[in-house]
Amino acid sequence: MIKRIEDWTYYELLNVERTASPEEIREGYQAALVTYAPGSLAAYSLVTDDERRQIVGRIEEACQTLLDPERKQTYDLSLLKRSYYYAPKAPFRRTVGKLEIDEAPSKRGLWQRLRRLFSRPKRMIGPD
Amino acid sequence: MDKRIWAVGGGKGGTGKSFVSSGLGLHLASLGHDVMLVDADLGGPNLHTLLGMRNGHPDLGDFLTNRVGSLEEAAVETPYEGLRIVRGSENILFIANLNHYKKLRLLRQVRQLAAQDVILDLGTGSSYNTLDFFLSADPGIVVATPEPTAIENSYLFLKSCIMRVLKLYMDHYKIPDLHQKMLEQIEKNSRSLYSFFKSLIESDRSYGTILYRALRNFRPCLIMNKARDEADAELGRSVVDVARRYLLIDIHFLGAVPYDVRVHTSLRALQPFAKAHPDSAAARAIGSAAEELIYAVEHSRRTPPEIGFPNPR
Repeated sequence: MIKRIEDWTYYELLNVERTASPEEIREGYQAALVTYAPGSLAAYSLVTDDERRQIVGRIEEACQTLLDPERKQTYDLSLLKRSYYYAPKAPFRRTVGKLEIDEAPSKRGLWQRLRRLFSRPKRMIGPD
Repeated sequence: MDKRIWAVGGGKGGTGKSFVSSGLGLHLASLGHDVMLVDADLGGPNLHTLLGMRNGHPDLGDFLTNRVGSLEEAAVETPYEGLRIVRGSENILFIANLNHYKKLRLLRQVRQLAAQDVILDLGTGSSYNTLDFFLSADPGIVVATPEPTAIENSYLFLKSCIMRVLKLYMDHYKIPDLHQKMLEQIEKNSRSLYSFFKSLIESDRSYGTILYRALRNFRPCLIMNKARDEADAELGRSVVDVARRYLLIDIHFLGAVPYDVRVHTSLRALQPFAKAHPDSAAARAIGSAAEELIYAVEHSRRTPPEIGFPNPR
């Protein structure tokens, strides 16, 4: 997912996984600082000074938060709350197209239809 | 096996595009591949010199002026086994202004060359001809050096490639109004590409999807040449990171090629550097880039790029 700078998560800012160890977070922090440090060649001509300062500020914030276990836990929870909700799909069907719903028989009389479908013709037992 | 076509380009002159092209070609040939180098630097061809050869006929100009029937006939053997070259034309004034028909014919003939690997050595700048050759390859390789001028021109080159890709799609789907809008927006600032796609997807999701998919399918590679220290070598990764966030493209970093003063001396002696100093760090870096490219191309054909849309919030 591509986002605005303001929407990058701390993990995206530091280019680390959510399961990253403190050591990996520190390495990510150093690499991100080098990319957006004042006079950085990589940011030259593409990133304005204001944007670069804003990103560096967020990188510092990201490192402090992710290296503090309590703050990291709170931040992870807030990310979970912000994440999109995908409604669970029916497990027995891959897709439910509009056409299928339109053409589906009405719910009225469903049980009678089901009973009729699954009921077996009664067999007469014994000589008659 | 599919033919591989690589194009080596970049915005600035003197970054070592021809040096990298010749190095890649020599390494692939040494692995037993059948390689063809095409000097598509229309304004200043000199790839043959890096291979220790003199200019002469037949060359690319002979093909474009119909003196030879096909590009295959314009190719000559090099002193190195498995490596052939289509030399650039001596008639620079004529050839640099390639018209549309000749460009398409050249692109078609490049695809028909009877070689397993084709490497196009492109010229400096962001002319439509250069961009089209770069975009026709899979993948295109940008060669940059750790200098502000080279980085600036590389971003400009990549931006031009992006605009060209989007324009080709817009022309195909007959939406020229959008092209003008894109030019106006993207000229404004570096974050405008994001705003352009965001507004486009909000207003017309179908065109937005098509164009965004086209953009994400553009996946060039990067080689950082003339790296003098560890920071220069790391610069490539930083460029990849910045391009991902600001130009919305994924660049595959193939590594840094260390600066070596012997490149100059081997050029003076008309000897290919990779043959004169095969164990040097620079020659090994180009060799490993070639091998990674073989893997990267195969890999990218298997895995489509991640398509995510700009956040609708």
